[in-house]
Amino acid sequence: MTTAVTATGAVPLGRLRREARTYRALGRAAFRSLVAYQTSFLFGLLATTLAAVAMLYLWRSVLAAGTVNGFDWPTMKAYLLVAFVAGSLVSSYVDYRMAGRIQQGDVAMDLVRPVDYQRSRFAEALGFGGYELGTGLVVAAAAAAVFGGVPAPARSSLGLFVVSAALVLPLRFGIVYVSALVVFWTRNYVGVQSARIALVTLFSGGLVPLAFFPGWLQGLAAALPFAGMASTPALLYVGGLAGAAAWRAVAVQAAWTVGLWWLGRAMWRGASRQLTVHGG
Amino acid sequence: MARIEADDLRKVFRRPDKGPGLAGSLRHLVERRYTEKAAVDGISLRVEAGEAVAYVGPNGAGKSTTIKLLTGILVPTSGEVRVNGIVPHRHRVENARGIGVVFGQRTSLWWDLPVRDSFELLRDMHGLGAAEYRTNLDRLVETLGIADLLSSTARRLSLGQRMRADLAAALLHDPPIVYLDEPTIGLDIEVKDRLRTFLRQVVADGTTLILTTHDLGDIEDVCSRLVIIDQGRILHDGGLRQVIETYARERVMHVDLAARPASLAGIAARLTGATVTEERDGLGVAVAFDPLAHTAGDVLTALQAEVDVVDLRIEEPAIEDVVRRMYAGQLVAGPDERPAP
Repeated sequence: MTTAVTATGAVPLGRLRREARTYRALGRAAFRSLVAYQTSFLFGLLATTLAAVAMLYLWRSVLAAGTVNGFDWPTMKAYLLVAFVAGSLVSSYVDYRMAGRIQQGDVAMDLVRPVDYQRSRFAEALGFGGYELGTGLVVAAAAAAVFGGVPAPARSSLGLFVVSAALVLPLRFGIVYVSALVVFWTRNYVGVQSARIALVTLFSGGLVPLAFFPGWLQGLAAALPFAGMASTPALLYVGGLAGAAAWRAVAVQAAWTVGLWWLGRAMWRGASRQLTVHGG
Repeated sequence: MARIEADDLRKVFRRPDKGPGLAGSLRHLVERRYTEKAAVDGISLRVEAGEAVAYVGPNGAGKSTTIKLLTGILVPTSGEVRVNGIVPHRHRVENARGIGVVFGQRTSLWWDLPVRDSFELLRDMHGLGAAEYRTNLDRLVETLGIADLLSSTARRLSLGQRMRADLAAALLHDPPIVYLDEPTIGLDIEVKDRLRTFLRQVVADGTTLILTTHDLGDIEDVCSRLVIIDQGRILHDGGLRQVIETYARERVMHVDLAARPASLAGIAARLTGATVTEERDGLGVAVAFDPLAHTAGDVLTALQAEVDVVDLRIEEPAIEDVVRRMYAGQLVAGPDERPAP
């Protein structure tokens, strides 16, 4: 355990302020370095936008006949767009960078910086997130305008929606971080990343709402961390979750967020013990 | 208390042992076999404050691995290490505050940011005050000559520029210990000179320096103590002068000639003790000399008096030669049994 993780009460205020400044600076740096890759970012954005538009057309024709599994067309529109914005957070920057640096051995340089590795990556994820959220919202708003607007968020679950939306980034970070750390053992990221993307696409409900799954699979999906990455906030937005079910979904989301953070910590400890850096 | 204390450090790497070709790779999938190799094999080292240590050895001798153990990047398989009184791999963040590191083949700068922004990030990480930061930065910018680089992104820098920027990054927080792993690799003479002058100054200011290199020039200019390592073990640890003078004294001047000389006897007569040999089918001469007996200038004067010199280069002994001669000369200060060279 690094010294940065002492009880807050024991840490002098000056040091806390200094750490906050450090991580803010890292987040800003991440945000700014995205500007260097703007072209690739815009192409990535174009791809996801096209996928979202295709999905909207698909669901419009599916739902033309009427309501299916509780979704009518306006509800589905709102659901898909919220899921789209949630899905645009913590895209591939964090893991590409991490995996690349681990593979190339540049992670050695990260180990001689006086900052906590995981918090630094999280600070960067927040920096990237600002950019991703901004562009995601712009695309979603444009799509909403083209498809005739979306209903406002459901009043009954507005509070829980805000909490759930705020948890999306740290939760996605947890999954991305943990999967990138796997590179320490596999030495290769392509397979790990495809597996993660497949799981997320299926179980987050970003492509097909979980309500369309068979019952047993719905139960499983609700317990997995992926639902919190898109389905939970999107359902709360459209009012598809109410009462105890809504609270339970957000609790699962929060539990996974915290659990993955600590899993990441444990994995980092193991990984950095068996690190091998070859050459230079 | 010594700044750096290492006792019987060992680091064993496990390498997958794959047979040749696809068949070998496939077999490895079902039947995993590994070879173990001790990259660092029982190294003990004590470095005091203000010492400048050259850490040298042939490729694959374990230099970089030792540095990575001392900096806390790698966790030793066995043995003890303490730097500034703490165990580096157990307290990485604390350890990082007290050291500066440059790996010649990697950069600590942010690739996509202007160099100045990287420095400011490091300032925040190390919690430097505004005044302290400005003083340190100004001094580094001036001595390393990097004022022009501050506004370009790290990815645009040439190797020599990047290395100087990296040095500044490593020294920004005034660390008591600095590790430089091959800092002059691929640099031209002028930049090398500048770096060496700078490093001498850093050492004179009381910084502990550990320098790994292939370049004897780096060592002679900067360090007072020489540690030679081979196959993960320390072969020699002691004064630099004695080793250089015993094993790395000879220089060879090679000259190209405009026309074949009638005889080389005249050159040999002017340079007592030097060995003169013909090269390039008579169109070149090589003079092996002892710099304590003749300066390079003397040798050149002698050559010009006898023949028409078109071009010349001076070959200095490499670390590899020193290590080879140490084996040959049986002056093995380290462990007892050595494999035959």
